[in-house]
Amino acid sequence: MAEDPTAAMAKECKVRLKISDDTIFEVEYAVAMQSQMLKNALSDTGTDGTVPLHNISSEIMAKVVEYCAYHVNAANTISEKDVKIWDQEFLKDLDQATLFNLIMATQYMVIHNLQDLICQTVADRIKDKSAEEVREIFNIQNDLTPEEEEEIRHENQWAFEEEGWPEIQEEVRLEG
Amino acid sequence: MDESPKKELAVRRNTSSHLHRKEETPSWHLGAPVDIFFRSSPCRIVVVNAQELDHPIIYVNLIFEQVTGYRADEVLGRNCRFLQYQGSFAKTRYPLVDIRILTEICRCLSEGFDFEGERLNFRKGGSPLMNRLYIKPICNDEGIITHFLGVQSFKEANFDLSPLRGLVWKKSSGAIHTHILGDMYSQKSLFVHRDCSFKKCCPLYKVSDEVLVVNILARLTPKDVTSLGSVCHRFYNLTKDESLWKLVCQNIWGQETFSILESVARRRRLWWGKIVRELTTLEAAAWRKLTVGGSVEPSCINFSVCAVGSKVVLFGGEGVNMQPVNDTFVLDLNEDCPEWTHINVNSAPPGRWGHTLSGLSDSRLVVFGGCGRNGLLNDAFVLDLDEPQPTWREVSCSTRPLPRSWHSSCILDGTKLIVSGGCTDSGALLSDTFLLDLTMEKPVWKEINVSWRPPSRLGHTLSVLGNHKILMYGGLATSGPLRLRSSDVYIMDLSEEETRWKYVTGSMLPGGVSTCNSAPPPRLDHAAVSLPGGRVVVFGGSIAGSRLETKVYILDPMEEKPTWRILYVQGRQPKYASGHSTCLVGGTRVVVLGGHHTEDWMLTELHELCLINLKGTD
Repeated sequence: MAEDPTAAMAKECKVRLKISDDTIFEVEYAVAMQSQMLKNALSDTGTDGTVPLHNISSEIMAKVVEYCAYHVNAANTISEKDVKIWDQEFLKDLDQATLFNLIMATQYMVIHNLQDLICQTVADRIKDKSAEEVREIFNIQNDLTPEEEEEIRHENQWAFEEEGWPEIQEEVRLEG
Repeated sequence: MDESPKKELAVRRNTSSHLHRKEETPSWHLGAPVDIFFRSSPCRIVVVNAQELDHPIIYVNLIFEQVTGYRADEVLGRNCRFLQYQGSFAKTRYPLVDIRILTEICRCLSEGFDFEGERLNFRKGGSPLMNRLYIKPICNDEGIITHFLGVQSFKEANFDLSPLRGLVWKKSSGAIHTHILGDMYSQKSLFVHRDCSFKKCCPLYKVSDEVLVVNILARLTPKDVTSLGSVCHRFYNLTKDESLWKLVCQNIWGQETFSILESVARRRRLWWGKIVRELTTLEAAAWRKLTVGGSVEPSCINFSVCAVGSKVVLFGGEGVNMQPVNDTFVLDLNEDCPEWTHINVNSAPPGRWGHTLSGLSDSRLVVFGGCGRNGLLNDAFVLDLDEPQPTWREVSCSTRPLPRSWHSSCILDGTKLIVSGGCTDSGALLSDTFLLDLTMEKPVWKEINVSWRPPSRLGHTLSVLGNHKILMYGGLATSGPLRLRSSDVYIMDLSEEETRWKYVTGSMLPGGVSTCNSAPPPRLDHAAVSLPGGRVVVFGGSIAGSRLETKVYILDPMEEKPTWRILYVQGRQPKYASGHSTCLVGGTRVVVLGGHHTEDWMLTELHELCLINLKGTD
């Protein structure tokens, strides 16, 4: 082919994605290319067929498409600062389940920037939190017995101390 | 350790099977953990031939037969993996067997380490056994591994072995380390249909361990990751994952530090969890004495050293009759018996003392300035140790900084030499800062222009923080008409558009964080070392009143209010701690040589401050 196929496709093609409840999402080629997995899949099969994504629900797919579509447009036109503000807005009202479903979806579809954004958000929520607080945030049941908890706490004592290093215990002896 | 129990077993005959008799007697050196196994409960013993394909079993003891139900003649010649199949008719591994344990076993066997861990096994009839397994490589006299000894104690496992519909989280009795997983690193583990009765309200259960570790946990600090161990069993087991700690290290301390630590970790078989913990808390910091062979002759003082990989390189110094020398010596600490070797170099720079020697990335180093035979110098020479014939090459530049000695230098980004302060020919002190980018084809000295400079000084230290910051500490500084020892700390961020020196703490200037009781007294000719994470450790030096300085101090400039703390270090500190030369080798050992009043002119007795415990897994 003489002309660059991707440029032509970007303008006209829609990519069809069939998700878990059999609904079809039609997205622009450029938006779909944000996903490395789709990029690889489509380079083999072309854009005529439908790509099955059985593991992703429509709610999650909508969010993914929203993010990718914005970032395709923002790539050269919107300032980094504004993009960051948009990203924070995007994350704002997402509940736990959605966040984790998005992590799974971005892992499967290989969308690095969205995955980084969400994983960093989750990491930020865990930062500097006690074990009990982490359990509350993620609704995790404590399946450790009190003895196990005590043992683990003892093993990891240093992480619970206020300062990172032990206080000076004794004078260092000089070499004789 | 105690050789007799093993020799006894080697002789004991299994009456219902035919033993394969070995031609040679391997040397049996068993360590303490195996001894404990022998004493604690009846143990199954398995010996496999390490030199034959697929490690066939060559010996099993009576207990093995009794516990597993497999007779010796059924298992001799086979690989041990049949124990992971549920019963004698199963063709594949039971899915609840922890893949990670198996990969760990494979890794240990291929690298010749001991392995200790728990594993799910099955009897011949199909009932499960929780197997506490200890595998030890057995070497012959030439150190080649000939056999593997497996010692196993067991306990009953309480599992629901009904057909699985997906991943389940269950705990076997008493074993806190047991972790049951499906195929951990495959795509299909990302989307699993959970047993509905089981914690569907917790969204984290949908996320596989790999995703959790690589994408979320690896972004946290060591302290956060460790405290997560108390959340639940799953998290506790994840915090035991070595790959998690490797990622944490890479993320917080950078790829370069990680690569340096990796070679140390591999060589000394250290656990990453322990490395990261010890480098964070410095709880294992200890002074050690290091005796090396060879000698540095003609003996000299006021030389300079730097670290290149695992090697300590020494150049120059003041020799007999106060004449400057220009020899290059290398000491490789990776060798079993390190000794000083004189390197025959081409075109050595003119001899000098009071210069600086700094290690660039790869195997190169650069020397600058110092006092030569005919006065002070301002030339720079680079040496590549990996060249077949190492040659010092002068960095030719049209304009250079003023000639100086007793200045300080550091290397930014592995490629840029930064030089600051020092003393000129006329005896005046300097306060300028210059940068030489050695990646350029024709490097040019660039003065870093700042609106305000700290008081001029000599005998101070420059340390690098991360990729683009430098920290200056101490020295003999100008104070009006006087020169006084300084305790000031300044930081410069070279990535800023308008670079400037920021005053952090000390005693000379108003502003900055006020000092506390554990602040180090003002000093010059001390040692300063940068640790991962941007912390700086300082010790030694000449302090007022000629007291001997004994303490090690640490400062974290990233804190909101950086404060000096005293670091508790075990062991005996070098007695003479001023004017010595130091360098950080392998990211974990601060080697200290020479120093004023030392009697060790040959440099065969060195001291090192080991930041972590370098003894391998025990």
